[in-house]
Amino acid sequence: MAGRGGRGRGRRMMSFSVEAVGINRGDSLPPSIQQPTPLYPVMEHKPLPLTGGEEVEYLLALKQEFRGAMKSLPFFIQPAAAHRDVERYSDKYHSSEQTDSQMDWNPDWKRFPKELRVHVRKTPKDGVAAVRSSKAASGPKKKKVKEKEEVLIKLESLEKKEEQESSEEEEGEEKKKQEEEEAEAEEEYDEEEFEEETDYIMSYFDNGEEFGGDSDENMDEAIY
Amino acid sequence: MHRGTAKPQRARPEVLSVSLCVGKMTAQEVRLCGLLLREHFGEVVEKVGTHLVKNGAQNLRTIIHETGLSLDLIKKSLCVLVQHGVCVFRSGRRGPGSPTEYRTCPDLILRILRYPRYIYTAKTLYGDTGELIIEELLQRGHMTMSGTVKTVADRLTQNMEEGRSMDYNEVTSAFSKLVETHFLQRCPPMAAAAAKTDTATPATPATPGTPAAPVSTTLPTPESFPDCYKVPHVTLIGRGKRQLSTEDGEDQRNAKRPKLDTENHGDEGIYWQVNFERFHLHFRDQAIIGAVANKLDQTSSEIVRTMLRMSEVTTLPTATCTKPLSANEIFKSLPATYNIPRPILDQYLTLLVDDPMEFVGKAGESGGGMYVVNLNRALANLARATLESVVQERFGSRSARIFRLLLRKRHLEQKQVEDFAMIPAKEAKDMLYTLLSQNLVQLQEIPKTPDYAPSRTFYLYTVNQLPTARMLLQNSFKTVANLIERRLFESSNSKRLLEKSQRIEAILASLQASGAEPEQLTEVEEMITAPEKQQLESLRLHINKLDSAENQVDETIFLLESYVNSTATSTS
Repeated sequence: MAGRGGRGRGRRMMSFSVEAVGINRGDSLPPSIQQPTPLYPVMEHKPLPLTGGEEVEYLLALKQEFRGAMKSLPFFIQPAAAHRDVERYSDKYHSSEQTDSQMDWNPDWKRFPKELRVHVRKTPKDGVAAVRSSKAASGPKKKKVKEKEEVLIKLESLEKKEEQESSEEEEGEEKKKQEEEEAEAEEEYDEEEFEEETDYIMSYFDNGEEFGGDSDENMDEAIY
Repeated sequence: MHRGTAKPQRARPEVLSVSLCVGKMTAQEVRLCGLLLREHFGEVVEKVGTHLVKNGAQNLRTIIHETGLSLDLIKKSLCVLVQHGVCVFRSGRRGPGSPTEYRTCPDLILRILRYPRYIYTAKTLYGDTGELIIEELLQRGHMTMSGTVKTVADRLTQNMEEGRSMDYNEVTSAFSKLVETHFLQRCPPMAAAAAKTDTATPATPATPGTPAAPVSTTLPTPESFPDCYKVPHVTLIGRGKRQLSTEDGEDQRNAKRPKLDTENHGDEGIYWQVNFERFHLHFRDQAIIGAVANKLDQTSSEIVRTMLRMSEVTTLPTATCTKPLSANEIFKSLPATYNIPRPILDQYLTLLVDDPMEFVGKAGESGGGMYVVNLNRALANLARATLESVVQERFGSRSARIFRLLLRKRHLEQKQVEDFAMIPAKEAKDMLYTLLSQNLVQLQEIPKTPDYAPSRTFYLYTVNQLPTARMLLQNSFKTVANLIERRLFESSNSKRLLEKSQRIEAILASLQASGAEPEQLTEVEEMITAPEKQQLESLRLHINKLDSAENQVDETIFLLESYVNSTATSTS
């Protein structure tokens, strides 16, 4: 565009003829913009109102109802409750509320991959049971327990027994028993379902949150 | 190369599968998927789901590694995703014994947005029973027929007046009708799916260098199983049961839970899911019928409706147009209530064929004229109309005139645009550049000489309908995500107020149930002050508006999506 150089003195040179884009001889070029476009640009045209009517209303109701219903279904998974500053008396009631909804889902495990088979732990019925079970489970090797249903039932019956016999020594014995039971269960489990993946340490990924958690403090209380 | 022995090699196919999947989704889709999952399944599932969407097929271990969630939660989330048909899994993709891989697809998750519409359609077609059947199935992913029938019957009984109840038989027949019309289908049986992978896997170890990517892309569709639409014989006699204590929401929730009875109904292990594709075909037909009614008149829309209904069974879901129908056949199939005499029908058909929207085409002269409904062309034209109206509403009718002009004339120089649109040059340029900067209009350079000198180059403006439709589709996804985000913000802003009103409502309900004095009730009611009430009211209004907007944007999404998909099928 050297031929037109005379016109562009004191002004940025364009590589094309500016007339073609509608800027005439006397006009100044629009100022360059050196900031991002606004987050909420001004709307030049007002948007049309939403359509109304019976169908729309019904769809709206369906949508809101569906969303509400999903929240109460077992498929709505609550994150593990965050550790709060202090343990509160009301905590155990909240936790039972949360897990409650997860109890009534009995999937047909034939339709799921084997490795996903997880058994929902029964929520402890009272504070003592919670302490006991968590205490029994939080042993050093117990971190990766994915128990089988029957073991769970066994455990529970053991727990009940435990409650009746309240002496400390016996509890210790029971604990050992439970540990044995669980160890057995683990062995069974490994053999059956994880044969192929022996190069992984099964326990690696679990941080043990499910078993440790706030009930650790509880445990202290119970002992002293 | 040997597979599976060393870890670095394990990583490679993963990279490949990631790149296979990345091309299919965008940041907007991922964001919307995340929001939808959070709203319906909670934050944990959201995390697992978006991780799968972003990274493609992954095995359990990788998911644990990369999301940092606990094993237990991830297992549950995956179960939830699989249960709702959002996630598919298959093992042995990389040779026998390799870990199970989980895959999800944004399209599957985005269907959640359309759930209200599926339910509503079932209601219009099959009444309350159909509505509840679809609703239950959508809420629970898949269910057995007997389970669905019982739950629905119980729910219907709940809503009936005292002393009456719903017969299982009625629900069963509604269910069978939904299956007959293919709105419901069987979930593909697991054994068959496993057998499929078994036959597929022996091929993979033979060629270790090539990861078995094609295997993973050809998932068995439910329709590939012969029994897909076969209703099993179910022995189910009885009536819906009424929950004895009908006090508050807690009990209604209990009523919804499927009863865990041990009796056999003869359909154990046969699970049913909603056939979304069938619903989409129905939506497409409805969109065409609605468009004809708007463009021409009610009578012609009824003719098109008859044609679509006649070819419902004979036309493949991916067909570009319906099977040809003769005018005689159409005439015979027209419901007598329409009262359209034969000569009038012929006139209407000619009118439909001549219409520029090309909904109906003429395929031949035999049998008094053979007619087809141009499904794909109708979709393309509807999508074009959508684009035009978007330009019109955002940039004004004169910009829309330029846009339409470019659509019709394909390529125009700037000067021609100004002349043909009959808009003053300066304004026309302004509008054209605005459209160009918004990517609604594209610029094509055609140089006369190879040096691309501007003075010797033609600058042609053009509109590419398909890419523009894709862009608008992405914009719509963004819009919905923004709407959801805004709604969450609004409700979290007045969380305290909402909780308070909920508590008070609960108290009121329990007081009413126990037969409290009216004064007591008003006393409790007054715990919400007038300004609070006002605030709640305006919040409700806002949320309704946002929710409604989501529904309506979804209609646009559906149209654009079907158009984009239809171009994919017609080229291949």
